[in-house]
Amino acid sequence: MNATCCNPASTATQTTPSVGVTESLQKPLYNVIGNTDAYEVRVELPGVAKSGVKIDLEDNVLSIRGERGSATPEGWKTLHRELSGLGYQLRLRLNTPVDEDKLTANLENGVLTLKLPLKEAAKPRRIEVQ
Amino acid sequence: MKLARYTPSFDLGRVADFDQWLRHPFAGFPAVGQLLGEFLPGAAGRLAADVYEDQDNYYARFELPGVKKEDVKVEVHDRLLTVSTQRQTKAEGQEEAYSLSRSISVPESVRPDAIAAKMEDGILTVTLPKQEERKPKLIQVN
Repeated sequence: MNATCCNPASTATQTTPSVGVTESLQKPLYNVIGNTDAYEVRVELPGVAKSGVKIDLEDNVLSIRGERGSATPEGWKTLHRELSGLGYQLRLRLNTPVDEDKLTANLENGVLTLKLPLKEAAKPRRIEVQ
Repeated sequence: MKLARYTPSFDLGRVADFDQWLRHPFAGFPAVGQLLGEFLPGAAGRLAADVYEDQDNYYARFELPGVKKEDVKVEVHDRLLTVSTQRQTKAEGQEEAYSLSRSISVPESVRPDAIAAKMEDGILTVTLPKQEERKPKLIQVN
């Protein structure tokens, strides 16, 4: 887990906004906490509403997309800009089988919390010595 | 000619932006947040800000993911808008604490009593209403 996978060419960081790419995305800040039962992934997605989050798990690659709502309301003139305003994309390769059906996701205050319970078979097992 | 106070410790890193910064009405704020932010985005007390305006208001926007609205402090004092937050979390032997703040100087034309702040999806928007333009007053000659 915890390894970023297949950085797409369209991914742009805040300091190097890509030009001429149909879709510019940035990689969000994230944090992975793991224990013997589950992984917890926390992704910072400020500006993304619940409806703008898309989570896919395919071929052991977890992809998270965050689309921002309308960036700036109509009639607002920009005086100074530091925030990037780009959408987010994060792809993580899982090296442990997780229970897809029990995957939960919760978005609160711009932070997405994903809980990925491990498959029973992947949990450590204690073997009693007879 | 424009004179700007030279503060060597405030290395802005982006000269072009600074130039632009000086020209807009919020110029002259202490650029502390910029100090380390260029090297450690999001992890060095930096609180990035956007500033907009329309006909009636100025707007300042800040990204505060994971921060509850109760934990945000928005203050206006001496025409200086300060947004700050402090957070401490403890979970399973892990401890995390940080504080972020940013100050922006507010144009004189802002009505300090009518400033409003709203938190949505981790983005704080502070609305700073402009003073109503003083209409020319017609004095009747008797």
